[in-house]
Amino acid sequence: MKEIKSKLVEAIKATYPEATEKDYEGNRLDFYVNKQCVPSVLTYLKSGLGYIHLSHIAFVDWLEEGEFELIYIVWSPSEKLKVFIRARVERENPLMPNIENIWRQANTYQREAREMYGIQFESFDAPQDLMLEDWEDIPPMRRDFDTEAYANKTYFHRSGREDALDVREAIIERSREEIPDFAKKYSR
Amino acid sequence: MINDKNSQKIVDIIQNWARKHSLFVLAYGTGCGAIEIPPTMTSRYDAERFGIRGAATPRQADVLLITGYLTTKTLKRVIRVYEQMQDPKYVIGFGSCTINGGMYYDSYNTIKVLDKYLPVDVYINGCMPRPESVISGFVKLQQLIADGKADGATKYKENLDYYRANQKKIIPNWVMPEYNW
Repeated sequence: MKEIKSKLVEAIKATYPEATEKDYEGNRLDFYVNKQCVPSVLTYLKSGLGYIHLSHIAFVDWLEEGEFELIYIVWSPSEKLKVFIRARVERENPLMPNIENIWRQANTYQREAREMYGIQFESFDAPQDLMLEDWEDIPPMRRDFDTEAYANKTYFHRSGREDALDVREAIIERSREEIPDFAKKYSR
Repeated sequence: MINDKNSQKIVDIIQNWARKHSLFVLAYGTGCGAIEIPPTMTSRYDAERFGIRGAATPRQADVLLITGYLTTKTLKRVIRVYEQMQDPKYVIGFGSCTINGGMYYDSYNTIKVLDKYLPVDVYINGCMPRPESVISGFVKLQQLIADGKADGATKYKENLDYYRANQKKIIPNWVMPEYNW
């Protein structure tokens, strides 16, 4: 596995010197690339190095840094290695290159990104609604979308669960476990 | 024809007795609760001994089960299905999500209180309700039918404006046929 990984790092670095890699235990290897290079890196991986399967495109909202991260996960059946291609795009008017012509199944993931995060893709003309219908608010999977406030505004609620206690407080009482600071702002 | 009040009562009793022993449930699951229906129907719990069995289309069905969370997108289809069903028709709300939102109380895409949008005859609580409680809910519905109290469909017809206003509040793009029963 080590040899396969170092060979791949060499091959990628030779063509894309600005790409940085991060090694993980097991059969996983990450590359950080610019968003403009994504289609060419993926084409190179697919046709040149045998990474023929696109497993998934994942999306991360880095709200504090003002960026979205797109993670293209590709798999090689011969090398048994998962390669994660990570690219960042600014949060204001995000525009990513379209990879639909490399893998057709990217169409569905890109539609999901467009609907749930508002990430647009170049010359991408798929039908509008995927999972939502007649959505008018900001895309719901963005972290600045307050889902509870939206639910309170839009839907009826049955009274009787106002006294619902935060489970974490009960856990502290029982096990004297400390809540980390970052988790405190999420407790009710 | 029956004009006499007492004779009408006897006819109602016979009619309700017949209705309560043949509940055809529409095979339509909205949330995770639909997974509890196969064990309820098959040999271990065998709901058919109560006269409960599946129906393929809305026009043949008597009971609409809302099994679990109901998204706004599915609500549109559920309303369409409910309005196509023929009288007598009953709605069973199944699981905590239909009662008060359950674990999806803060979800942006699921309704929290089902009886604002459709007339519910029986609620079964639990997350998920086991087949025993599903059967007990059906038995409760049978009692209501026998007493002539399962009148959700009449309620819907009489208060259609109220239900329509609530439905249109969360379905802004309303492209549905208007039925006049």
